[in-house]
Amino acid sequence: MTYATKSPWVIHYDGSSCNGCDIEVLAALCPGFDVERFGIINTGNPKHADIFLVTGSVNERNIDVVKEIYNQMVEPKVVIACGICACSAGIFHDCYNVIGGVDQAIPVDVYAPGCAVRPEAIIDAVVQGLGILEEKSKALQAQKKGA
Amino acid sequence: MLGFLILFPLVVAAVLLVVRNNAARNAIVSVSALVIGLASIWLVATYLGSPWVSFEFESPVVDYVCSGVGVLVAVAILYYGIRYKNVWACVLAVIQVVGALIFEFGFAHDIAVTEGLYLDSLSLLMAFIIGVIGSGICVYALGYMKDFQAHEPEGAKDRRPVFFALMFVFLSAMFLIVFSNNMVWLFTGWEVTTVCSFLLIAYTRTEEAIKNAFRQIIMNLLGGLGFLLALYVSAIQLNTLSLLEFLQIGVQNPALVVLPATALAFAGLTKAAQMPFHTWLLGAMVAPTPTSALLHSSTMVKAGVFLLVKLAPIFLVSPVPSVMVILVGGITFALCSFMAISQTNAKRVLAYSTIANLGLITACAGVGTPEAVWAAAFLILFHAIAKSLLFLCVGTAEHHIGSRDIEDMDLLFERMPRLARFMMLGIMCMFIAPFGMLVAKWATLVSFVDTGQVALILLLAFGSAATFMFWAKWLGKLSGIAGEPENVEVTVHRSEWISIMLMAVLVIVGCVCLPIISWILVEPYVYSVFGTVGQDISTANLWIASIAAALIAIVLFAGLGRNKAKKVDIYLAGVSANNEARVYKNSLSGESTATARNWYLEGIFGEKRIAPVGTVACSLVIIVAFAVSAVALPGLF
Amino acid sequence: MSLLAVLIGTLAFAVLAPIIGCFLAGLDRKISARMQGRVGPPLLQPYYDVRKLIEKDNVSVNSTEGTYITCALVFTLLAGGIFYSGGNLLMSVFVITLSGLFFIVAAYSTRSPYSEIGANRETLQVMAYEPMVLFMAVAFYMAAGTFNAAGVFSLDAPVITNIWLVFLGFLFVLTIKLRKSPFDLSYSHHAHQEIVKGITTEMSGKTLAKVEIMHWCENVLFLGWVGLFFVWGNLLSLILAVVVVLLVYFLEIWIDNNFARVKWQALLKSAWVVAFVAGFVNIAVLAYL
Repeated sequence: MTYATKSPWVIHYDGSSCNGCDIEVLAALCPGFDVERFGIINTGNPKHADIFLVTGSVNERNIDVVKEIYNQMVEPKVVIACGICACSAGIFHDCYNVIGGVDQAIPVDVYAPGCAVRPEAIIDAVVQGLGILEEKSKALQAQKKGA
Repeated sequence: MLGFLILFPLVVAAVLLVVRNNAARNAIVSVSALVIGLASIWLVATYLGSPWVSFEFESPVVDYVCSGVGVLVAVAILYYGIRYKNVWACVLAVIQVVGALIFEFGFAHDIAVTEGLYLDSLSLLMAFIIGVIGSGICVYALGYMKDFQAHEPEGAKDRRPVFFALMFVFLSAMFLIVFSNNMVWLFTGWEVTTVCSFLLIAYTRTEEAIKNAFRQIIMNLLGGLGFLLALYVSAIQLNTLSLLEFLQIGVQNPALVVLPATALAFAGLTKAAQMPFHTWLLGAMVAPTPTSALLHSSTMVKAGVFLLVKLAPIFLVSPVPSVMVILVGGITFALCSFMAISQTNAKRVLAYSTIANLGLITACAGVGTPEAVWAAAFLILFHAIAKSLLFLCVGTAEHHIGSRDIEDMDLLFERMPRLARFMMLGIMCMFIAPFGMLVAKWATLVSFVDTGQVALILLLAFGSAATFMFWAKWLGKLSGIAGEPENVEVTVHRSEWISIMLMAVLVIVGCVCLPIISWILVEPYVYSVFGTVGQDISTANLWIASIAAALIAIVLFAGLGRNKAKKVDIYLAGVSANNEARVYKNSLSGESTATARNWYLEGIFGEKRIAPVGTVACSLVIIVAFAVSAVALPGLF
Repeated sequence: MSLLAVLIGTLAFAVLAPIIGCFLAGLDRKISARMQGRVGPPLLQPYYDVRKLIEKDNVSVNSTEGTYITCALVFTLLAGGIFYSGGNLLMSVFVITLSGLFFIVAAYSTRSPYSEIGANRETLQVMAYEPMVLFMAVAFYMAAGTFNAAGVFSLDAPVITNIWLVFLGFLFVLTIKLRKSPFDLSYSHHAHQEIVKGITTEMSGKTLAKVEIMHWCENVLFLGWVGLFFVWGNLLSLILAVVVVLLVYFLEIWIDNNFARVKWQALLKSAWVVAFVAGFVNIAVLAYL
């Protein structure tokens, strides 16, 4: 077992979301759902985060920001697209400046659709993400030992 | 040996005055600096741990020479005073020379001081500081002044011979001060340092330099008058001019010496640049950096605190001068530390820190217990070493980055890797455990507690907190690393490196060997003066400090930069355009640079707010002290 | 006190303090969560966090940051060792300040604007609490007659009876030292308001793990200073001290959850005014009465 799954720290970025999903992300932290029970913490700093939650679609303006945040996160890391806009750009897909879902910018590990995405769905997505995080973490440990 | 140390620099100065060839001057300065350094080390080694050793030496010739020098000094001041139309300097110089001559031929003639010279452990400590650090600075000046001359406008007169001659005269005068038992000779050395620093400050002859030089001379002539007053009273009332006898009489019969002790303390306060006289030392910053280094670390201001520490046994028993010195020193320490926070100019920060530390030494001397004197001796030693290291580093940095502003020292860790590390060492030595200054400050705190000086504890605590702030932010600025800026330290002169290394080695050796220095040098002095050894820090703690200091030095010079981690960019919240330069894309798709300056808290710690408070408070203390001691003078009323 | 005692103390502290500190941190998060009407993470959550951080990839923004942080951690352990081996309280204060300095320099060395803001604030915080901490040590010396922490065991009554005013002043600055709201300017705990992450913005992986461990050890040390006020010749008083320490820790958590962060001006001024009043009055009383 790796400890990555016991303390997944999250960074949350709002692409061009209508804020519906953002509110749900924050709702997950509130007493009703209290994801800190699983050690999940919302950090404001990519260098501290293990899981990248993106809400909203990627557009011409923010694609570089999404990439930079992703690049600054330290391995092992997992990306979760929260809400239908983040998955596929949703109802904004044919807007003039929208490029598409988050996977147009960075590799996405888990898709959590919904408009807005339900907190339960986010939690489910994170739990699924933890499995991937564990694999990545093990791979990194093996690589460290090999090196 | 003492005579050699006093006379040899004079000879060197005379030779330097006539030598105009650069190579010859380099050779002469280097060799004679080495000779002076070795001679003072040898002196220290020979007399290690000895109590007061007097030398039978009495010579009317020397007395006349001293008078002659006194007149010369006055003439020099008068010359410049008339030339630059400064009335106050002329008036004070005339009063002083007339007073001194009347004294010499009216009173002093009949009083013989059979033992003209002496040495004890404190003198040895000072001799080490003057001989090693002072001459180290002279060597440093070789390279520095070459660059300095190169920056001068085309066709400017090369006045370096005068500069170097003055530096060596300075050393000679300092040796005279620390070895003279005859107070008239001591006074001569005192005045020579005053006029030397006057000439050195005015070296550039800019309007500002001249103005500041006159401020210096006026304040120090006032102090000189205080000294003269002390001589008069001592000669008339006590019928002695021997420092030793003066101290003995003072300790046995404090009531007799209240006025002369106050007057001498006043002289010490002016020379040590305590508030309200701190402005002269700030003004002295216009001089070339070696001058500042010399004034701040090994000479001039140290003469002031040396005299105060010598008077400590009297302060212990005589409340009036003691309270004056304690209050002025304590207030100066706290307020100057506050003001240092608001300064961006590195040399001004150093100046305020010097004044503050001198304030602490002054306060220790004023407390006068064995523990306090132990602390004062260490403060003098470590301040001299660390401050000279810092000045030399700032001077070199200034010539290579073109600024003495702390904000411009950004990235110095990469631009001048060695120099930045030395500077960091110097800064750490100034304010943080386990280095020497802090150990001394610790002893100071304990001695204040033991003597129940509540006001001093308060001033020390708040002042130290401010000290942390202004040093830490400077240290932080130096430590910044980003990108691979061009290394600009390859052109630093060898003479500069040699001196900087010397100081750095002294810092490390001093901090690591602190318990040993205490044992062989400082404790003997304390014992010889007070008959007991007092020091407040247990030897085990001293050793912990020394081990930790060694550890930090190793980390600083060998451990940093060995990390094998993958290098990544810093976080700039958004898209970085040039990460190393902190440039990012702004909301209009343009480029913005993130800048982070240090905090200077001008609104709270600005000079305008704080300086007047200190000036008024300290002036009041001094005036009241003089009034009280004049009243207390038996026979005056 | 001998060098050997300090060495053994430091080693023991290096083993025990992280364990105790980790539990305290877990307790802190649990209690905070309950105060906010949540369940909160497991008690061992801080331990998981640190283990996770150690597993992360080894990256750094420069080659010196990690070394500075290691120095900071080592000197924290030394400060704890000095104190808990019954050594000099003042020395412990100075060494922990040195550790703080290394932490600050590490942040500055990254040259990241966010770290620098954190470092500037941290420097200011040190300046704000330092006078009161010195007064605490001085007052302890005046009340106990020694700077050695072990000296309390030969007292007839705990020092709190003489220097309760200084104790109150120390509690005030303890909020700064424990990095609790309203004085958590430079670096706050999880889920608090923060400009990125203040002084630790550029620290990641192992370096951040070291910072966390250092923070645990610091907390144990500071709480030890609190307990010192309540110990005297009676060995049972140690139990009293532990109870008081836990109460104080609970109080700090309560404060943390009930106050919003203040501006630095308010921090500096309030800390200095408290230090001036509490320190000056109490020390003057001890010196003159």
